[in-house]
Amino acid sequence: MNEYPKVYSVKTTPKETLTKWYRLMTLGRAIDDKAPNYLKQAIGWSYHAPYAGHDGIQLAIGQIFEKKVDHIFLYYRDLLTALSCGMTAEEIILNGISKATDPTSGGRHMSNHFAKPAWNIHNVSSLTGNHTLHAVGVARAIKYYDKKAVAISVQGESSLSEGYVYEAINGASREKLPVIFAVQDNGYGISVPKKDQTANRKVTNNFVGFKNLRVIHCNGKDVFDSMNAMTEAKRHALATGMPVIVQANCVRIHSHSNSDRHELYRSEAEREYVKEYDPLEKFKRMLLRYNRFTAEELAVLEAESAAELKEAHKKALKAPDPDPNTYDQFVLPEPYVSIKYPNGTHNQEGEKKKLITALNETLKAEFRHNPDTFIWGQDMANKDKGGVFNVSKGMQQEFGPKRVFNAPIAEDFIVGTANGMSRFDEKIRIVVEGAEFADYFWPAMEQYVDSSHDYWRSNGKFTPNVTIRLASGGYIGGGLYHSQTIEGALTTIPGVRIVYPSFADDAAGLLRTAMRSRGMTMFMEPKALYNDPKAATVIPDDFEVPFGKARIRREGTDLSMITYGNTTHMCLEAAEKLASEGYSVEVVDIRSLVPLDKETILNSVKKVGKVMVVHEDKVHSGFGAEIASMIMEEAFEYLDSPVKRVGSTFTPVGFHRSFERIILPNTEKIYQAAKQVLSY
Amino acid sequence: MSKIGIFYSFRSTKTAKAAEKIIEAFGNDYQIDKIDADTVNEEQFLSYNKLILGVPTWFDGELPNYWDEFVPALEDLDLTGKKVAVWGMGDQVGYPENFGDAAGIMCELLSSRGAIIIGATSTDGYVFESSKALVGNKFCGLILDQENQARLSSHRIEQWVNDLKKNFK
Repeated sequence: MNEYPKVYSVKTTPKETLTKWYRLMTLGRAIDDKAPNYLKQAIGWSYHAPYAGHDGIQLAIGQIFEKKVDHIFLYYRDLLTALSCGMTAEEIILNGISKATDPTSGGRHMSNHFAKPAWNIHNVSSLTGNHTLHAVGVARAIKYYDKKAVAISVQGESSLSEGYVYEAINGASREKLPVIFAVQDNGYGISVPKKDQTANRKVTNNFVGFKNLRVIHCNGKDVFDSMNAMTEAKRHALATGMPVIVQANCVRIHSHSNSDRHELYRSEAEREYVKEYDPLEKFKRMLLRYNRFTAEELAVLEAESAAELKEAHKKALKAPDPDPNTYDQFVLPEPYVSIKYPNGTHNQEGEKKKLITALNETLKAEFRHNPDTFIWGQDMANKDKGGVFNVSKGMQQEFGPKRVFNAPIAEDFIVGTANGMSRFDEKIRIVVEGAEFADYFWPAMEQYVDSSHDYWRSNGKFTPNVTIRLASGGYIGGGLYHSQTIEGALTTIPGVRIVYPSFADDAAGLLRTAMRSRGMTMFMEPKALYNDPKAATVIPDDFEVPFGKARIRREGTDLSMITYGNTTHMCLEAAEKLASEGYSVEVVDIRSLVPLDKETILNSVKKVGKVMVVHEDKVHSGFGAEIASMIMEEAFEYLDSPVKRVGSTFTPVGFHRSFERIILPNTEKIYQAAKQVLSY
Repeated sequence: MSKIGIFYSFRSTKTAKAAEKIIEAFGNDYQIDKIDADTVNEEQFLSYNKLILGVPTWFDGELPNYWDEFVPALEDLDLTGKKVAVWGMGDQVGYPENFGDAAGIMCELLSSRGAIIIGATSTDGYVFESSKALVGNKFCGLILDQENQARLSSHRIEQWVNDLKKNFK
């Protein structure tokens, strides 16, 4: 159904409303036209994607947005949308020229990325359509907390080629969420025309088969048609709680950005054709044609906009630049502090519990402790099945389907909507099973990487409070796609804590800390140890393990093994065997990879002088390379032998057990390597 | 015989050429006034009882801006009894989903204001997916495709004008 009421028309819209719109539109265009000058004068704004040609729909999107109630996610071409949402010209320029007082990011994010988190104008990635999943996630919270609000994801039509945008729209449709996907169609993704994106020129019609989803087409170049379409979209989303796509036909009058030259791929005739439909000129002609304004009245408004821009420009130029020495602030927020277990150790005695039980009971305890906790993932809740390995067994029965639920087989959706939902309120804590196995997490990497930027990019204004659990590692005969452990790839990315327990108590303690902390934590679970008696321990009910605290699992003086995860147990077994030969081996379980307890590692090295770094992941570029380098840089003079690394081969993990044995590290390989080191 | 007004944008290229051909096809027996759609006003529009409108489709199925800007005026006009013929320009290969849509949008609007739409044409010889110009199994007016079927245009215009001559009586 494309029809919508004509609430606004040139003849009936109150003059004061038209005045406001014309002021916004002329101010926006004045900034849009001026932005390239900042680059020419070497002041900044090196990335500018001009919006000229999108004027009608951008005005309309901003006009239907209610600050601090609705949630909106703008894209890099949304200059007028930002103004229409209520941001000032000065704020726009502060972002453009990367000042410390830029409300988006204090100069950290790229120019033309306008945000004001205090008003729910969210700070988003430059990755096209990345925020679509965030809008769906925050809409899930709007629905759960029963708020009268909408989430608005604004994006170009080419973003609909991205698979995760499909995931987002599918999710909003399935979950019946109040999201408005406002799609500005200017016919190009940089230089790539629509015909090279999808077979359907009306690209949003690709989604007409989705249930619960209304698709509206409008003329994004026309103020009144855009206002009517967006007004109806919001009315519909609020009234029904269902999603809406609005496809607004726009023109791109200029190049994609100031690093693009559209004359290389657009004919002069085409460039003139789109200029002919300049939405601002059209609006002006209509105001005059229907005698709503005289030319003199419009000239006054234009002069006011010019003066406003001049004043904003002066103020913005005087604003302070960011202090580059703050570069390391806001990588990760301060974590939850454990008062009772500052070192993450305990001496409790009693009945041992398995690692899987530790996780299950801690999840449940934290869900009882904090009512604003949620968990989802594939296989999360199907009758008696709770999680692919039943880690979350019984949770849906206790906490209900609104807090514990299945996700579609869409890993990026799982992580992206977690990021989005946590934007709704600081108090929310989310746990997701990032994938069935770590092997299948790769589709979520774009959300993982982007979520890792959030805290830094927003200058500390937003951090996703999300714990990602991943069943990781091999030793189950799983082959290439059930054996991967991927921390080596993840530890290169700042902004996420990464923990990898090897015993039940540490698993419980780290999970509790993760779920009480702000920020994102990657919680890697050695699935081979879920039910292994050797990982079972006594667990205090309230146990907590701080991040960045290694645990010495065995004291020694001849050799130190630095390890984590599955190989902790192999190191302990090798140490035991070496003890029978008279060697005293220390085993340090680092537990946290990021942050890393360098102090405990270095103290062990200094005490012992010989060291091995052991992990299940590949030796080649595995995390052990970082540890070994750190040791050599900071404790070289204490070393009595080269740092030895033990890990898997630089190959996939084969399926036949004999492949697994030759590829993955084991106790014998660690023992043999230890003998080499001890021989120095 | 009352005069005919032919309305199209004087700044247009293909539409203007088609207008000239239409006028030529009518011959000297007809008084046809040319009115620039870029500046047309209500009074001019109402001064004719026989109108021919050139309405090319822009972008993905839109009216050109000059007609779109006149829509608020048209929406309030009483066109009862006026005979109106519409021709459009479209690209059935590049834009098969909205071939000649603008002509259809205009026909529907004029019809809703009481105008009698004349000059429906057959869709034979065209290949497209959908069109707002379709009324039943015919186009509500004449659709010319200069991008893909330019050589058929003269004949299509002649046939259409012959039909209009009968209908304008």
